[in-house]
Amino acid sequence: MRKKVIATLLSTAMVASMLAACGGSSSASSTSAASSASGAASSSSAAEAASSTSSASSESVGTTATSAPAEVVASSSAAASGDDGTAQFEGLKANEAYAFPMLVKSFQSTYWDAAQEGMKKAAEELGVTYTAQGPNSESDIADQLNMLNSAINSSPKGIGLAACDTSSVIDALKTAASKNIPIVAFDTGIADAPEGSVVCTVATDNTQAGEVAAEHMYDAIKDEIANADGQVRIGEVNQDATALNIQQRGLGFINKMIELIQKDGKTVSVEGNEFYVNAAEGADTGDTDVVIEVAVPAQTTVELCSTEAQTILSKEDTIAIFGSNQTAAEGVVSANSNLSVLGTDASNGDVIGIGFDAGSTIKGAIEDGTLYGAVTQSPLMMGYYAIYALTMAANGDDPADVPTEGYWYDSSNMNDSEIKPNLYD
Amino acid sequence: MTKKKSKLLGDQRFIVLLVIIALITVYVIFSKEFRKYSSILSMLDFSYYDILMAIGVTFPLITAGVDLSIGTGMVCYALIGGTLVRNYNCPVAVAMLVCILLGCGIGLLNGVLIGIMGLPPFLATLCTCMITRGIGSRCSATPWPTLKQPGGWFHSIFKLTFGSGRGAFKFPIGIILMIILVLVMEFVLNHTRFGRYTIAIGSNKEATILSGINVKFYHVMDYVICGLFAGLAAIAYAAVTPTVQPGTGAGLELDAIGGVFVGGVAATGGYGSIIGTFAGVFVIVLLKTGLPYIGLQANWQQIITGFVLIGAVLIDIIKRKRAVAKQ
Repeated sequence: MRKKVIATLLSTAMVASMLAACGGSSSASSTSAASSASGAASSSSAAEAASSTSSASSESVGTTATSAPAEVVASSSAAASGDDGTAQFEGLKANEAYAFPMLVKSFQSTYWDAAQEGMKKAAEELGVTYTAQGPNSESDIADQLNMLNSAINSSPKGIGLAACDTSSVIDALKTAASKNIPIVAFDTGIADAPEGSVVCTVATDNTQAGEVAAEHMYDAIKDEIANADGQVRIGEVNQDATALNIQQRGLGFINKMIELIQKDGKTVSVEGNEFYVNAAEGADTGDTDVVIEVAVPAQTTVELCSTEAQTILSKEDTIAIFGSNQTAAEGVVSANSNLSVLGTDASNGDVIGIGFDAGSTIKGAIEDGTLYGAVTQSPLMMGYYAIYALTMAANGDDPADVPTEGYWYDSSNMNDSEIKPNLYD
Repeated sequence: MTKKKSKLLGDQRFIVLLVIIALITVYVIFSKEFRKYSSILSMLDFSYYDILMAIGVTFPLITAGVDLSIGTGMVCYALIGGTLVRNYNCPVAVAMLVCILLGCGIGLLNGVLIGIMGLPPFLATLCTCMITRGIGSRCSATPWPTLKQPGGWFHSIFKLTFGSGRGAFKFPIGIILMIILVLVMEFVLNHTRFGRYTIAIGSNKEATILSGINVKFYHVMDYVICGLFAGLAAIAYAAVTPTVQPGTGAGLELDAIGGVFVGGVAATGGYGSIIGTFAGVFVIVLLKTGLPYIGLQANWQQIITGFVLIGAVLIDIIKRKRAVAKQ
């Protein structure tokens, strides 16, 4: 009998010690693996940002003062590409009735329904066909890889790919390159794609989209930061630390926020998820005026995003939070259902919540003043241009990258004609 | 040591209770946010569907079977119910009824496949897991009405809200309902013919058949009950998830099944209690929602949950060996 008591006590002690031991190591982070990955991410994002600045001027889709930062990287790469993305498709005709497999990340959110609508429109205009395929959830990396491999085996004239995981598709892309199948990456860019595989990237400039969120958030909270007595906290919930678009968006937000805060003479540090902590640029260390806390859930579910958001929102010093995609933003909204701390007036003590993408939950939260606003991409245009780029590549031409922008929307402009079509339910 | 004390310590439910107390103590010490009322509220919010699924799946597990379709099934029913409300203006009450009926339907299918056709439970429910996941993916992401929208009254089943805005007081009425359900099902398991036969099937199916009991009927009914609770869980899930997303739900059943094992249901069937299940699920919920509060990164949360499960099942096995040795 005594053994039983000892066994019980031991197991309890084991659990307790594991918790304590792990709890201590969470914020102190020092891995080097992430930093090399971030190098690749930021260099490609720089190129994307550069070409986006040139396209912004000519693109007819109106923006609401997203202020693409011209000073960031108007360097050699922009001049070299020298193309404004969409003009190349004028008068494009399909040489034959191509059939393209289009691999989306999932059918999880209505985001992909909007993308398919764009594909459908383009396919009808060009007289080509497409088949949209996707795994059940954005975490099903292996399933999508299987779909990609079987698509390559059927030797189509081109494949559209929104990769769930950009590193796991590399081998498949090599096969595609050896079989001369052009790949158009849409929604998510593939930074280290093998030579000759990805002929064109149609994607949101995620760095810019993250920066837009940071700029609008900073406008709302800068007085709070300036007049704060002690440390204040800004939260960011990222669905994962593996997909390039989430990485770029998360870092775009963090780096812009660091820049804005430091410009006003305050210090800022980043804590939480190791990848983002290591990849953030220019952060201060030690006891800073502002802390940016980055949370990444164990799985990409609203429930776990909500738990992470709840943890941040429960802290007394939190003044703002950003959910960097639809799932994360819904997690923020859901966490607030018990806390009721989000609002639009920071001087009144409201925590400023900013979302990403759309969906009726986020739109509803913006309408009723729970969320301050959100950044939307243009899934419709991405699907649309992906089909155009594929047709052009199948014709034997060489399409240039098409960057699309992230647009800010809040309760004042969400019904504008240039914003509304992108706000899917 | 007195006999009573030794019996108490031998009871897995008591050990689980100790683990719960230990976990809560650690959280309270290390996280000042965890001590807030709102943290308790949100932890309870996310526990209801796990508890409901776990109560249901306890029955197949006691018969030495399993039901893997409850997680994807739950999401599938919530999606269909939500689509009915959103796109066909169906009253929320009807959608809730549809969820429950669908749950019973899939449960019946599982039961017939396993109890009558003789398919292995793992295989049969794996198939229905895929089927429900696929059917769910046919719908697009669907939000059920929020509290303020028409039809939002169903949130009050789980959480009463008094007042509005920041000063609103919220009471987690759901936990009281859960406790009532747990007591009712505990009674059903131990004091009704259905419950006793369920345990009999799990401990020795051949003997149960030979004693003239309609094993097929009761075996099927176990899966129907499990499906019924998956249907109820769908309503609880819809109440806490802003947008029910197609393709999700796989893996959620494992939280419930894990909880049942922590709660002391024998991995070989033939023994179990609903109160134990309730306590076991609470451990899983505490691990899932509590670990982020003490600043633990996501990967560690899963590692720890895995170790706790191993520990729980080991305790059960050791206990059983002792009991055999004593005889």
